[in-house]
Amino acid sequence: MMTFIRPRLRKPLLGGIAFLGIAAAWAIGSPAWGLAIVIAVVAVGQTVAWYTWAGADTDESALLASRADERQKQVGLRARALAGTVALAAAYTGLVITLAVKMADAWPFAALLAVAGFAYLLGLSSYGSGEPGPEGEVTAGHQTRSPASS
Amino acid sequence: MVVLDEGRGGLRTSDADREQAIDVLKAAFVRDRLARAEFEARVGQALASRTYAELAAATDGIPGRLTADQPPGMPARVRKQRTQREMSQGELAQALGVSRQTVISIESGRYLPSLPLAFAIARFFGLTVDNMFDPDEEKAGAR
Repeated sequence: MMTFIRPRLRKPLLGGIAFLGIAAAWAIGSPAWGLAIVIAVVAVGQTVAWYTWAGADTDESALLASRADERQKQVGLRARALAGTVALAAAYTGLVITLAVKMADAWPFAALLAVAGFAYLLGLSSYGSGEPGPEGEVTAGHQTRSPASS
Repeated sequence: MVVLDEGRGGLRTSDADREQAIDVLKAAFVRDRLARAEFEARVGQALASRTYAELAAATDGIPGRLTADQPPGMPARVRKQRTQREMSQGELAQALGVSRQTVISIESGRYLPSLPLAFAIARFFGLTVDNMFDPDEEKAGAR
């Protein structure tokens, strides 16, 4: 579906849609629904700002515009790995604190950790080398796919 | 390090020697071992040097191992091939299908290209990967 959208617009649009989702949720769940309009306006502004930024000649812009080369993809991958690690640490900290303070509120943090752990195992099985062939036998083995190339 | 060989301090340097010394300075600069002002001053000193002794003075106090963790001469070779063809970094990047920042990173030794990109660079310059990326400095100097 995304191939119909210009590469430069894809990620800014996704970011905008994500923001609009928050605005919609706010409008449904909060009595102060007027704030949802503000969030929606921010979402549109963010999409325009990201689209503009994506046209610049920097590594970040290349990533944002989905035109990153191999080094830039590697940079993006490392940044995502760092973000994932920090998010995991934050979820663990939240879990420990809520367990100590109010155990009933701990489940979202536990769920985050469980999902992250599952995703990590999925990554290992997807990007790993797979089953080794019999010893001494020349085998093509499994084709590995780098997440950087996806 | 060729440039620090004191046995030939009075001998005159070549462009390749000066480029190599500047690579050492760049490596030191990107690792925050040199402030910008000192880096610029030392680059100027290296460019103006006529003998190995003068060149050694420009890189004085910088550990030789700074370039040991990157293929010696490889960044200089890419830059040399590009400048010989009077190409800008942007033009080379366009020809290789990568970003200008990636060419800059390769030329400064901060990024090692993947095998496909190394082949593409070598082919573009009409060389083999061995010629282009062999970490043997003597071969580089002979070219």
